[in-house]
Amino acid sequence: MEGMRPMSRVEVSDLHKTYVLRGREFDALCGVNFSLEDSSFVTVVGKSGCGKTTLLRIICGLEQITRGSFRFIPNPGAEARPPRVSIVFQEPRLMPWLTVEQNLAFSLFKEADRTRLTQTVQSYLELLGLKDFRDAYPSQISGGMAQRVSLGRTLCFDPDIILMDEPFGALDAFTRRHLQREIVNLFLSQGKTILFVTHDVDEAIFLGQRVLVMDQGRLVKEVAVDLSYPRDPLSRECYALREEIMSFFFAS
Amino acid sequence: MSWIRPYMIGLMVMAAWSMGSAADLFNPYLIPSPLKVCSTTWKLVMNGALIGHMSVSFYRVIIGFAITVGLAFPMGLLVGLNKASRSIWEAPLNFVRHIPPLATTPILILWFGIGEAAKLTVIVLAAFFPVFLNTVSGVANCDPKLIEVGKVLGYRPLDRLVRIILPAAFPSILVGLRLGIGYSWRALVGAELLAAAAGLGYMIIEAEQISRPDIVLVGIFTIGLLGLLIDVLFERMSNRLMPWYGGDETYVQG
Repeated sequence: MEGMRPMSRVEVSDLHKTYVLRGREFDALCGVNFSLEDSSFVTVVGKSGCGKTTLLRIICGLEQITRGSFRFIPNPGAEARPPRVSIVFQEPRLMPWLTVEQNLAFSLFKEADRTRLTQTVQSYLELLGLKDFRDAYPSQISGGMAQRVSLGRTLCFDPDIILMDEPFGALDAFTRRHLQREIVNLFLSQGKTILFVTHDVDEAIFLGQRVLVMDQGRLVKEVAVDLSYPRDPLSRECYALREEIMSFFFAS
Repeated sequence: MSWIRPYMIGLMVMAAWSMGSAADLFNPYLIPSPLKVCSTTWKLVMNGALIGHMSVSFYRVIIGFAITVGLAFPMGLLVGLNKASRSIWEAPLNFVRHIPPLATTPILILWFGIGEAAKLTVIVLAAFFPVFLNTVSGVANCDPKLIEVGKVLGYRPLDRLVRIILPAAFPSILVGLRLGIGYSWRALVGAELLAAAAGLGYMIIEAEQISRPDIVLVGIFTIGLLGLLIDVLFERMSNRLMPWYGGDETYVQG
């Protein structure tokens, strides 16, 4: 799955998004600037309604831009094809009529080579511990398992950039912690670019190399997390970072 | 003993009927004895009349239902996928929906004669709406969140229709087909009562004219049993085609 990656970064500049709701305009994003380096793990944290979901929906092509731009800029010497972008939504959004295995294969619908398709699906079933549930339907598995299938489907798509929209928001604390560790391992082993949105400051610090703080449609703060993985959420450094981010929300 | 539950009511009615007839409680011209009905059934089976009428009716339902699906399914898709076409079709279709198919039989006979066309039209009128409306609602109510998954993964509109919208609408479409085939069966027998030279409805009306209540009852039971059989087959098929779908849910429309 490696080798042909386009190695590009995402450059978001002065991004605006305005919705019209019942004749009234509502600014979801008002001038967002940041860049997402290749093979980096960036988290965006903010209250609900701060525009973080809108940001992801724009990058994966589900929303139009009102003003500004986002571009994929190839690294010098790298192949210039646009990177593959995919998203893990807050809900698993599995196809209820497909089994776990078929749901993973859902993102490989263009793959004509059956053996390659099966191999890819097998490898992710194994990686995510879904092998025993391969023939189960989404209605028969737990929420945490379903979100894992959803993640598997995204990984099967072999994206260069993975967007995650509070994927663990609806899960219990134990499952969430477990899946956070798995995401870190995936990031370390596969080296994909990840942009992860959450309202949980601890989660943002546990996962991201950089934490972008968002409020009312703007990026208001950027915090670098210079800690190696796996991190200890109870460590002094994490605590200090949490204080730094929280102080912003309580100061305003 | 739970296996007996589905048959309990039927057995009780049979018992009451047999005892009443044995005790001479009923006028045999109004309620012939079960024995009489059984022997008539046997005779009608042996001389081929019952099978003949049955297959005529069955054939009409199959053809009529096939035409219905051929019309209602594509129209349902179109209307379900396209909000604009919904407002075009809604009023005229609601107008037609409130006319009982049998009420159109006289004019259909006037136009088409008492041939097959009139009866097929009655079937189509009866079965169209459950198939059409359930296709529309199945397609229109497909979760937009699932469609977004397809968009992100690069599915084109046709891929999304075939691999997301249709499977999502499938349970609803099957409910429509199941209702539709029941409706068409009922409407057909009604049409045969009014104008036919063969078929179960015709058999009943002919028996009335020659004062044979036993044959009338044979006809009624056959219709009920065949309807039941079709429904059971449909349910079996639904369960097999939709293993992900939890059994008894039926949202009924039409």
